[in-house]
Amino acid sequence: MLLTRASPTLLPSTSASPSPPSATLLGRSRGRGGLVSASSPAAGQHRQVRRSVMAAATGAVPAAKLEDADALIDSVETFIFDCDGVIWKGDKLIDGVPETLDMLRSKGKRLVFVTNNSTKSRKQYGKKFETLGLNVNEEEIFASSFAAAAYLQSIDFPKDKKVYVIGEDGILKELELAGFQHLGGPSDGDKKIELKPGFYMEHDKDVGAVVVGFDRYFNYYKVQYGTLCIRENPGCLFIATNRDAVTHLTDAQEWAGGGSMVGAILGSTKQEPLVVGKPSTFMMDYLAKKFGITTSQICMVGDRLDTDILFGQNGGCKTLLVLSGVTSVQMLQSPDNSIQPDFYTNQISDFLTLKAATV
Amino acid sequence: MANGLPNHPSGFLTAEAARSLVDSVDAFLFDCDGVIWKGDKLIEGVPETLDLLRKMGKKLVFVTNNSRKSRRQYSKKFRALGLEVMEEEIFTSSFAAAMFLKLNDFSPEKKVYVVGEDGILEELKLAGFKCLGGLEDGKKNILLEANFYFEHDKSVGAVIVGLDQYFNYYKMQYASLCIRENPGCLFIATNRDPTGHMTSSQEWPGAGTMVAAVSCSVQKEPIVVGKPSSFLMDFLLKSFNLETSRMCMVGDRLDTDILFGQNTGCKTLLVLSGVTTLPELQDASNNIHPDLYTNSVYDLVGLLQQ
Repeated sequence: MLLTRASPTLLPSTSASPSPPSATLLGRSRGRGGLVSASSPAAGQHRQVRRSVMAAATGAVPAAKLEDADALIDSVETFIFDCDGVIWKGDKLIDGVPETLDMLRSKGKRLVFVTNNSTKSRKQYGKKFETLGLNVNEEEIFASSFAAAAYLQSIDFPKDKKVYVIGEDGILKELELAGFQHLGGPSDGDKKIELKPGFYMEHDKDVGAVVVGFDRYFNYYKVQYGTLCIRENPGCLFIATNRDAVTHLTDAQEWAGGGSMVGAILGSTKQEPLVVGKPSTFMMDYLAKKFGITTSQICMVGDRLDTDILFGQNGGCKTLLVLSGVTSVQMLQSPDNSIQPDFYTNQISDFLTLKAATV
Repeated sequence: MANGLPNHPSGFLTAEAARSLVDSVDAFLFDCDGVIWKGDKLIEGVPETLDLLRKMGKKLVFVTNNSRKSRRQYSKKFRALGLEVMEEEIFTSSFAAAMFLKLNDFSPEKKVYVVGEDGILEELKLAGFKCLGGLEDGKKNILLEANFYFEHDKSVGAVIVGLDQYFNYYKMQYASLCIRENPGCLFIATNRDPTGHMTSSQEWPGAGTMVAAVSCSVQKEPIVVGKPSSFLMDFLLKSFNLETSRMCMVGDRLDTDILFGQNTGCKTLLVLSGVTTLPELQDASNNIHPDLYTNSVYDLVGLLQQ
């Protein structure tokens, strides 16, 4: 059963002190067709127990090593690929990717690229693909920056309200394209606070949503601005592009991810965000609707269990974990892990080499 | 002894309750922000209240989660506001962090990376520890060019995170790398208050913000040394000959001050002069119930003189 495979407890924990939090929104909306807001988990031990109970209860089937690639390819109509750790690592293309994508296209498969990275807009990502020599259309790319704008459109967010952005250019560009007014963004990175007597921060009362994503210009000014909007503007939404703990800004090491910025705002408002990026199914439902397909006709390919694979499972599609990114086979098979994709393999170019044994 | 709402577990402070409280305790522990002052403004009636309690022979102690100043710097603040309070009567989360390291035999060979302000740095230095980070790193940016590698000091054995108005990505990344990659590196939070009255006219994000940011990136929970952790109480008890059952914790925040009092066996008095409002106290979702509540500490003066 779909719902029980989802293990929200692997999402980054952000709760306040282990003592019962005051007035937090506990609980999450799970499963298909809804935004998954991460739960406010209890302390580590409790989480551990829940996880193993979850695994035992679901009897989560361990992932199978991919052997018959053709069978998998033939069973679906669309492939959704995560980008970091699947297509590229930092600015380096993973080997065999161009040939693999070409092969899938020649078999008539639809290709879609879904990334939680909100720093670029779809158009900017299109350029990155082009630079790496890949034939990918802007329309095939769905970054969490796009997801934030698409979400606001889907709820008919009023055009006379404003969006305060704690994040980078990608979010601003997508909001502009969708016709929404925005404040904040990278330029607020230069604004300073001095906590001196008499210092008062004003905020725009017309802000109806605060969108938080990865922001390397993050600072105390933005935290306060976002907090004031969420706390004091009636009905103000708190939207997170994603909650990834780490991100690969360069391929040499891990960097603190969007989950940090979101955690900070959750820390000051004690409010859970609406998450539009993986593992929330928002982008999956959007895609399925847009292409007129059912999710069972999709295979999600990613390198991260608690975003990519959970996204695929929550959405009801097949899931393939690749080991070319952040997850190792040890992590997959660890007793602490209860997220089991249908299949796992080293990298996507295995599609070219793994063949069913001939009878 | 419910008052206000029927069947409400917390009692509104009446003259009878005030007298009974004062007779049953030998010491009052006061939170500072929202109880004694708001930003840099003294809350009305505080000097008279403290004088009265001292005259009645009560020991006064101040326990604050605000890590921006050291104990010494706080004692200066008290004096500037016309209150005579000694450094030894003040227990800050900055002091708690330094004492935690001391009590756990943190090697003076190792370094401490600080996401926080002056108060933490001063207390660490006083305790003899080497610090990195602090205010200076607030000016650093990351340059994301190809092949850029973010280095970090491998001898950092503890990261302390507290309120930091100069918080930025550089510090977050530095702290995360230390916690994730230096074997055995401690992740200590001075406190996790979401907000506070850093200025008198509005609330500002508290240490809880910075702590949550780092916690999310490393996917680990920190050791919390400030309220509601009972860590500071151990120091208090060592310094003064007191029993917690003969103490009253007075504070404005339920999930730090009141919980701290309850966790350590003190009586608890919530004041509404800070971050908590009466509706919040009485809300069905709240399950932290102080013994008593009142508008501000000054109420004690009026009630005791009745």
